Amino acid sequence: MQHNEYKKLIQLSFYGELSSKEQDDLNDHLKSCTECRQELENQNNLLALLSENKSAKVNDEILSSARYQLRGALRMEKDKLSNVNEFFRKLAEIFSTPARLAFSFATVMLIGILIGSLFFGKKSVTEIITTNGNSDITELSDDYVTIGNLSFIDSDPSDGEVEFTFEAVKQVYIKGKVIDPKIQSILTYSMLNESNPGSRLNSINAMYTEQPLSFDRDVKDAIITVVMTDENPGIRREALKLMKRIPYDEEIKQAYLFVLTSDSSSGLRIAALNALIEGSKKGNRFSDSELNLLKQNSNQDDNNYIKFKTKTILQEYN
Amino acid sequence: MALSDIELIHQAKQGNENAFEQLVYRYDRTVLSITLKYTGSTDDAKDLYQEIFIRAYRGINNFQLRSEFSTWLYRIAVNVCLSYKSRSKQYLKVSINEEDDDTDFTKNASEQLVYEGLSPEEAAAGNDLAEIVDAALETLSPRQKITFVLKHYEGYKIREIAKMLNCKEGTVKKYLFEAIKNLRKKLSGIYALQN
Repeated sequence: MQHNEYKKLIQLSFYGELSSKEQDDLNDHLKSCTECRQELENQNNLLALLSENKSAKVNDEILSSARYQLRGALRMEKDKLSNVNEFFRKLAEIFSTPARLAFSFATVMLIGILIGSLFFGKKSVTEIITTNGNSDITELSDDYVTIGNLSFIDSDPSDGEVEFTFEAVKQVYIKGKVIDPKIQSILTYSMLNESNPGSRLNSINAMYTEQPLSFDRDVKDAIITVVMTDENPGIRREALKLMKRIPYDEEIKQAYLFVLTSDSSSGLRIAALNALIEGSKKGNRFSDSELNLLKQNSNQDDNNYIKFKTKTILQEYN
Repeated sequence: MALSDIELIHQAKQGNENAFEQLVYRYDRTVLSITLKYTGSTDDAKDLYQEIFIRAYRGINNFQLRSEFSTWLYRIAVNVCLSYKSRSKQYLKVSINEEDDDTDFTKNASEQLVYEGLSPEEAAAGNDLAEIVDAALETLSPRQKITFVLKHYEGYKIREIAKMLNCKEGTVKKYLFEAIKNLRKKLSGIYALQN
């Protein structure tokens, strides 16, 4: 065996990866080879040097902080999945109810027309209306239909006829009490999914009423999700205000802790900290792992108020 | 009595989040240890840790129990680590095919941080040893680095690493030899000082 081969065996030997025969061969060789003995010593020194610069065990504080952040991320993931599942559930509901058979049929027809138009290169048309000159098309102006994207196919009136397409979007008007679960469901969907931040904000503010509210599971989840994930700090702030209306429990506490340790806005972190202090005064005490998290956060947060307040809490617990 | 991994997996597949959380807590210390040693940064390690378990959460329904849960999870961990690039939180797409490891990551700026050419005194005078070692590790290719971390710091057997990397044991040995060779070269100044 060549020196280079023995050098490889030396490396594997350090990690206990040699068979007993290979180890015996190597030991025999080392007895008679100065160069390989030097190689063994050099390698052991190098690997010892590399070992001493990494602590053997994961720090508990880092682990608990990572677990905490993971819980928040899993909550978001769960909400994403449940939104998708809800969409498919509603879709299935529409197609499974006999009373809605006609609607299903119309939808299938519409999909067929759309697919057909894709294949045959025509523009998509949702409805074809022809008039003989006497008909009244007033139905189009009722029911809050918005007309847009008018496009002429034949704009020449010389033959007495014109031909065009347009898009008609029908608005749905709803008026109801905020405590109505259906209203809450729509507002919840909007605060989670609307791309326009103004609409998301309005949806949150619409739920902020002086009347006592009972937040069901979905609404509560949605508000917590917005507090933790919305990219707009103004929306997160309004959602946090709304969240304060929800009875304080373990989930709410965890959401406040998430904001305190993760939010980029110091104003929101302070609001979360104050809510946690209030909750603590009402008997919702912190667990040991939560106290560790607070301690770690007080060392890392760059806001002096948060540092001071957190240390005050920690002193009270000691 | 504690439930087995298989029982917890079945429950997690049925939507039991506590079961998934229990699975996480069985293995997350190891996962975090790997990501910490791989990245050398607490923040990046926590990001990778989170990414690994989110992928596991998304994929648990497709897990067919053909391997141990830990093997499956560590394969995810290895793939996530291989796609990690730097502390700037940018990620690279790296093929998981064993033969595609041609990317030369040693030509980046971090190479300048390694004290190959400095005298031991110069190197030791201005820099913390741990930082120098981290910088040397940074110059390894992703596969060399993950192999070295799993072998040297986590103590896995070569056959176990081969499963995680989805390659042959000989390939793992090759990565390990190259990693040690490169580290020796990069740390020659410090290494001499230690002797």
